[in-house]
Amino acid sequence: MSAVSVEFQGVSKRFGNRSVLVAVSGTLRQGQVLVVAGPNGAGKSTLLNILAGLLRPSRGEVVYRDDDGPLPRPRWFERLGMAAPDMSVYEELSALENLRFFARLRGLHLEDAALRGVLEGLGLAPREQTRLVGTYSSGMKQRVKLAQAVLHDPPVLLLDEPSSNLDETGHEVVAGLVARFRERAAVAVATNDPRERAWADARIDLAL
Amino acid sequence: MRASTLLSESLAVLGKELTAELRSRVALNAVGLFGLTTLIAVAYQIGPYRIQEQDRPHLLAALLWVILFFAATSGLSRVFVKEEDAHTAKTLRLAARPLAVLAGKFLFNLILLASLYAFIVPLYCALMGYSVRGVPSLVLLLACGAVALSATSTIVAAIISRASGSTTLFAILSVPLVLPLLVMLIQGTRAAAGSAAVAAVLPALQGVVSLGGATLLISVYLFPVVWHD
Repeated sequence: MSAVSVEFQGVSKRFGNRSVLVAVSGTLRQGQVLVVAGPNGAGKSTLLNILAGLLRPSRGEVVYRDDDGPLPRPRWFERLGMAAPDMSVYEELSALENLRFFARLRGLHLEDAALRGVLEGLGLAPREQTRLVGTYSSGMKQRVKLAQAVLHDPPVLLLDEPSSNLDETGHEVVAGLVARFRERAAVAVATNDPRERAWADARIDLAL
Repeated sequence: MRASTLLSESLAVLGKELTAELRSRVALNAVGLFGLTTLIAVAYQIGPYRIQEQDRPHLLAALLWVILFFAATSGLSRVFVKEEDAHTAKTLRLAARPLAVLAGKFLFNLILLASLYAFIVPLYCALMGYSVRGVPSLVLLLACGAVALSATSTIVAAIISRASGSTTLFAILSVPLVLPLLVMLIQGTRAAAGSAAVAAVLPALQGVVSLGGATLLISVYLFPVVWHD
């Protein structure tokens, strides 16, 4: 897939009378990690949801652009991988079945060996991959969520609290993932973790 | 660019729904238990002999569809709410085309409804002493009714899932769509019970197919907006 940049200009979001974001601007570019930092409730997740096209901003605009120009909103999703605390995978399926399902939806013809490789790369041992996700610990579920986000090698990767529920080894796995994707994708990370803030090539600090 | 077809994506959604349902059995249990309990209550209280002969065609057809509809409602309404409850809706929204989600969920509801009909209708006929002269007509009516009811339930379920999954809202939104459908299905069933000729159920069948087709068509245009906004 060709490189994609995401430009957002004057993005504001109100929920009823409450302003969550006020005129936030920036750009996600291939080769850069944009860290979105700020206290709880500052609007980090809201901004990532707006960048993903899952929420419409109250004001301002988001533009996805590839070599051929701006992309219409329905085509953002095929260029995008996202993991967030409020995005789960299916608990009635195993990790492998989840990846098979998402691969099929995205039109990827991947053998089980390749899917297992993705899961192993995120630290999920082979014997765990065929167990139902509903029986997993929260850290293991987080690894499956990350796996579905990167499965299609997206040119835009949005990670909301990517190390949440992960132990130290898990944090290192996520750091490795971000380092790999920095080379070939535009990455945004919403976080409060000081270790993750250090990944930033660019940074947006949101205030309450 | 997507290499998958809409059909392949829809079948993937259907496969996921079926696998998840066979493992959790939430909808199957709800629909089966509701259907069976209502049927037994009706059969116990009314049975084959407590209805006047002249009332039988009307009452038995109406009771059959009341049982089928309310049993179906208990399971079909959850098809999107469960995605919101389990926080999988966003993940699915990013990975699948809206029409693939709609088609997969519609087919799942259709299979659930067909299973319910296959289970309840013969049992109802046996317990209530309901003899149907036009069995092929009834089967045709049940098939078209299942398609129309699945289409209605699926789009209404999608709308309510974006409104915090209110089942009250499901009932309110369903009434104007389902009421004419149920009336036609009851009329058709009465006609099928009384005559072996398919022509007897044709007016009802035409109505059901038209309403089901219109609902499906509207759903195709409405669903992407409901799903993404």
